[in-house]
Amino acid sequence: MAAPISIRNVSRRFGDNWALRPVDLEIAAGEFIALVGPSGCGKTTLLRIVADLQDPTSGEVRIGEDSAAEARRKRLLGLVSQRPAVLPWKRAIDDVRFTQKIAGRVGFDPAKVLAEFGLAGHENKRARELSGGMLQRVNIASAMAHDPSVLLMDEPFAALDEMKREEIGEWFDRELSVRPKTVLFVTHHIDEAVMLADRLLVFSPAPGRVIEVVSVPVPRPRNHAFRQDPRFVAIAAHVRGLLMHQATA
Amino acid sequence: MPADVTLNQSAKVARLRPTSPVRLARRVLWLAMRVAMPVVSVMLLWYLAIWLSGLPAFVIPLPERVLEVLWEERAFIFGHLLSTLQVAAIGFLWANVAGIGLAVLFDLLPPTRHMLMPAAITLRNVPYIALISVLMLAFGDSILSKTTIVALAGFFPVLINTMHGLRAADEVQLDRMRILNASWWQTFSQVRLPYALPSIVAAQEITGSGSIIVAIAAEWMISSTGLGYVINHAMQNYRGDKVYAVALLATALSFLIYSFVHALGKRLDWRAAGEQRRG
Repeated sequence: MAAPISIRNVSRRFGDNWALRPVDLEIAAGEFIALVGPSGCGKTTLLRIVADLQDPTSGEVRIGEDSAAEARRKRLLGLVSQRPAVLPWKRAIDDVRFTQKIAGRVGFDPAKVLAEFGLAGHENKRARELSGGMLQRVNIASAMAHDPSVLLMDEPFAALDEMKREEIGEWFDRELSVRPKTVLFVTHHIDEAVMLADRLLVFSPAPGRVIEVVSVPVPRPRNHAFRQDPRFVAIAAHVRGLLMHQATA
Repeated sequence: MPADVTLNQSAKVARLRPTSPVRLARRVLWLAMRVAMPVVSVMLLWYLAIWLSGLPAFVIPLPERVLEVLWEERAFIFGHLLSTLQVAAIGFLWANVAGIGLAVLFDLLPPTRHMLMPAAITLRNVPYIALISVLMLAFGDSILSKTTIVALAGFFPVLINTMHGLRAADEVQLDRMRILNASWWQTFSQVRLPYALPSIVAAQEITGSGSIIVAIAAEWMISSTGLGYVINHAMQNYRGDKVYAVALLATALSFLIYSFVHALGKRLDWRAAGEQRRG
């Protein structure tokens, strides 16, 4: 079950330096929000504040009725990092089960879902024996294994090549239609963000602030044909223009 | 979605290939070489040292004479060897209990690190001669004094390596445990400890083999039993051959312990397990 997220006046400062200027945002349950912007603009900081892995300097995050800390304690959150968090000594299926064991909640049958994730026959392989794309799919399966309401993803496909990235992105979008989650997705990749998200939060360079919230008014899941759609091209060009303008300002 | 290509296809093919007689012979020869080469090189260096130094036989005896002594006095040496092994084993155990125990305590309660680490460093830097003297005065020629020396010598590498290992856990894995609201014990046993294992094994390689040497040194100074005592006694009687016999035995024993711990560590090391799977 997806949950709404409310980000109210959330900011973060390290000493005298602002990592993130105050952000306000209401995210509906099941919505996919992409955070785009240059390096060091505070995207990951915002993600980690929502994950309760970092405290904000001001403001608060509500996930449904809970604070971020309560949501984490209730195991309502799932985290997917750029580097897969798959335990290197565990087999893929055991890693998915491990999440369920720690969370004390079984979201789905690991074998069935790994097969759905295109990993049939690879369930008993360890991280070293899997390709980058496979490993990231195990990572996502593990992050979703306890059926979290919110999925927090920090550049999850950054280590993959362009083709694999597009392929796994479309696959992930289809998976979300089966298992709806509210998603916060950090990326540097504008096309990927437009392809996947309902809305894009475009950040200025450091100190980061949200310069525009761009909607993508096309239902999800979307297939690769959407990349040729004039709306896709126009939104991507608009976001690119915003970032270019900020970079040269 | 097209099937992904796994990285170890060639390794899989290699595993399936049957072992040919030539390959088997090559493996046996390689193993024999690995065992023989260290022995041959040590012998060569030994003879070279005798030839170049020109020292008398009681200072540097022939290797065959040393082996002869080892055989002739095997009953006497074996009795003392058991005593040394007992001291080394108990000391080694205590070194691990103290070293790993403190490292775990520091991980569980970080402020204890600031409280206890200075004491551990001080203890490490006190000259062992002084410690042995104090222990001798306190406990006399007892197993307690000798095992305490072995434990004191061994616990610091275990402590430092375990601390380092526990801190080596991948931040991504720790974030995963935090987001799942895992308990300290779950994070420790499922993530931190497996990541620390290679470092803990490395400490065992140092401490395990070192325990024999430290036990002998302690016996040499304060004991009337053990290989250290045998060396002391032999020195007083100008029996260089006996000293060498005990030294050879102690070296072989340390080497054996090192090899055993190393092999055990390889089995426990998840990184090595991955390499083996890759062929």
